[in-house]
Amino acid sequence: MLKKMLKYLSSLRFTIVLICLLGVMFIVGLWVPQQRLLKTVYLEWQKNTPNLVAFLDTFGLTNVYASPVTITIWALFFLNLALVLWQRWPVVKSRITVTDAKIVDPVTASGYPFRACYPILPELSGDAVFAALTKKGFTLRGTTEGFYGIKNRLAPLAFMLFHLSFFLVLLGGLVTVYTEFIGFIDLAQGESFQGELGRYNTLPIPKMPAVGSIPKVSFVVQSIEPKVTRNTVTGIDVKLTDASGSTHLVGINTPYNTDNSSFVFKHLGVAPLFVLIDPSGKEVQGAYFKLDVVKGRQDTFRLGDFLFTANFFPDYEFKDGAHTSKSMEFANPVFLITVELNGKAIAEAPIARNGSMAFNGFHLEMRDMPFWVRFYVDKQRGLSILYAGFALATIGVIWRLLFYRREIVGSVREVDGVRCLVVAGRSEYYKSLAEDEFVRLFETAVIGK
Amino acid sequence: MAYWETIFYIASMVIYALAAGGFIYSFVFKNPRVVSKVTLLVAGGFLAHTGAIIARFFATGHLPWSGHYEYALMGGWFIVVGTLFVGWQSKQLQGLAVGTVPLVLIMLGYGYMQNPALTPMAASLKTVWLYIHVYFAWISFGAYSLAMASGTVFLLKQKSDSSATPNPAFERFPSLSRLDELIFRYVVFGFITDTIMISAGAIWAKDLWGSYWAWDPVETWSLISWLIYGITIHLRVTFGWREKRLAWLAVAALSSVIICFFGVNLVVNTSLHVFQVR
Repeated sequence: MLKKMLKYLSSLRFTIVLICLLGVMFIVGLWVPQQRLLKTVYLEWQKNTPNLVAFLDTFGLTNVYASPVTITIWALFFLNLALVLWQRWPVVKSRITVTDAKIVDPVTASGYPFRACYPILPELSGDAVFAALTKKGFTLRGTTEGFYGIKNRLAPLAFMLFHLSFFLVLLGGLVTVYTEFIGFIDLAQGESFQGELGRYNTLPIPKMPAVGSIPKVSFVVQSIEPKVTRNTVTGIDVKLTDASGSTHLVGINTPYNTDNSSFVFKHLGVAPLFVLIDPSGKEVQGAYFKLDVVKGRQDTFRLGDFLFTANFFPDYEFKDGAHTSKSMEFANPVFLITVELNGKAIAEAPIARNGSMAFNGFHLEMRDMPFWVRFYVDKQRGLSILYAGFALATIGVIWRLLFYRREIVGSVREVDGVRCLVVAGRSEYYKSLAEDEFVRLFETAVIGK
Repeated sequence: MAYWETIFYIASMVIYALAAGGFIYSFVFKNPRVVSKVTLLVAGGFLAHTGAIIARFFATGHLPWSGHYEYALMGGWFIVVGTLFVGWQSKQLQGLAVGTVPLVLIMLGYGYMQNPALTPMAASLKTVWLYIHVYFAWISFGAYSLAMASGTVFLLKQKSDSSATPNPAFERFPSLSRLDELIFRYVVFGFITDTIMISAGAIWAKDLWGSYWAWDPVETWSLISWLIYGITIHLRVTFGWREKRLAWLAVAALSSVIICFFGVNLVVNTSLHVFQVR
């Protein structure tokens, strides 16, 4: 029973079943909103259909990629892979070993679909034929009376390499998952950051590493310069200066990497300095507010007893009686501020940099308008293992599938009174296409080329 | 779309449509002599297609890499390159265009209905990884399309050969055993480039999004299609799936690649791979 089970666990049939099951789980993950990936959609969906979501939650289908079912399938997949490799190793070893036993008669040899007989030029020696075959990449064993040749002898090792790379990817993946810290932090131009945990955004809650520490960093955001051409974000330059005084330029595709951590640019906002001035001309309150207002979003802030709602127009114009933006370029940035007192709107006006608006005898001044950026902070170890896995997988698959084995057996002998090269050949994967190759090979070998 | 781009784009569609009609004519009316002439027509369409890409390049300052329209434009181009290349290598394979040219025509028609607006290159695409990732993605798509075309021709030829009056149009093609091996060869080539594409994409994603793998719908579907072709190779090598079964597999498996390139974003609008809105 155990033997039968082990046999099934190590079979390719089981591999295919597992891969199909994984495929099904992945497809489920595409259709069912996933908690981790689509938090807002998921929460909305949960609100609308609580029973269905609760039912799917029970089976882990709303967190399908980390659900017990998927993890079990992955575990079985790697168990299957390990058993397959274990079983295949002796076969691989025997296939890469060249012994005299492989020298067989080309006429009677079994398993060689290609057979032919080529007359050799009278002036050509058997050794010259041998040399020509060697020149074509064949390793030969034996003599002209009987030989065995092989090209890409070590190709079966690539099979092991390719499949072992999966374990490297798994190991790298596990190390990254268990050492991973993920957090988001909003930093405005001029702000410094010393790696304090309390400064990370509370939503989403930072993911703490099971092993290891949070990023140890220290830098100041020197400048933030977004670049927009028409309605496409074409770049952003965020200049950071670290504790040693070195400057780092962060942009899209170029995170700030330090202490196994990446600070990846995620989001841009505007952090204006608003100051509230009372009717006597005294400054009541003022602050930089990190407003999430780019791309038409609306945000609010409070000063004194007033609630301010801010709409942002990067390229402002007042057209046909409406406040609007000509483009997404930051050519003429203006805030449209609505002021509320005790839940009632009392004023609305646009404010540009160094401008102000008046309401109830008060003034709201905008004295500065720097940007702020949201960084996705990710610290993890094991990336080099993972990338090594990718590299090995690529090398393995190229080696195995492009540099496949070709074997030949042959001898130089008299056939009907003519000195001939009698040969048989076989190739992995291909039969008909390999025939062309063998014909070309032997036709050139018998003329010594 | 730029002015010359529109002209070349429509011209290429018209020429490909004529070529597709020519190939269908040669098979339906059993006239194999047409195939070589129609292949020349495909080459003409390819020139116009290339012209559309060049015109767009001059209008935007970058090669067309993102969005459904540009996927169709560039992806179709790679498929035609592959088709012409194999046809140039062996005249017997010119007829594979019967499978690939209608596919490219549908892709171009679909692309035309999408948003072909001229946009500057999104910041997220300004990296060397784009060229590695997208280039290998298109090569694999081209190879898998050729595998599909070989599979289609295999199935048609097999049906024709088993009938009482075989269609002479299929005589131009390689033997069934060779077609069977060609299907496998194209799948292998596609699988290798697919592997490179996924690896390069993961490394790029780490820099761009902070995570090498985020189970993004396009990522997930590319993994599914990679697994499907991996299974195809194993079925062929280990279980000896050949000929009819392999041909059907090659035809069916291409749907997973088409879904990955064009289908995922139709049903899921949350993919990180929608670069224009980054």
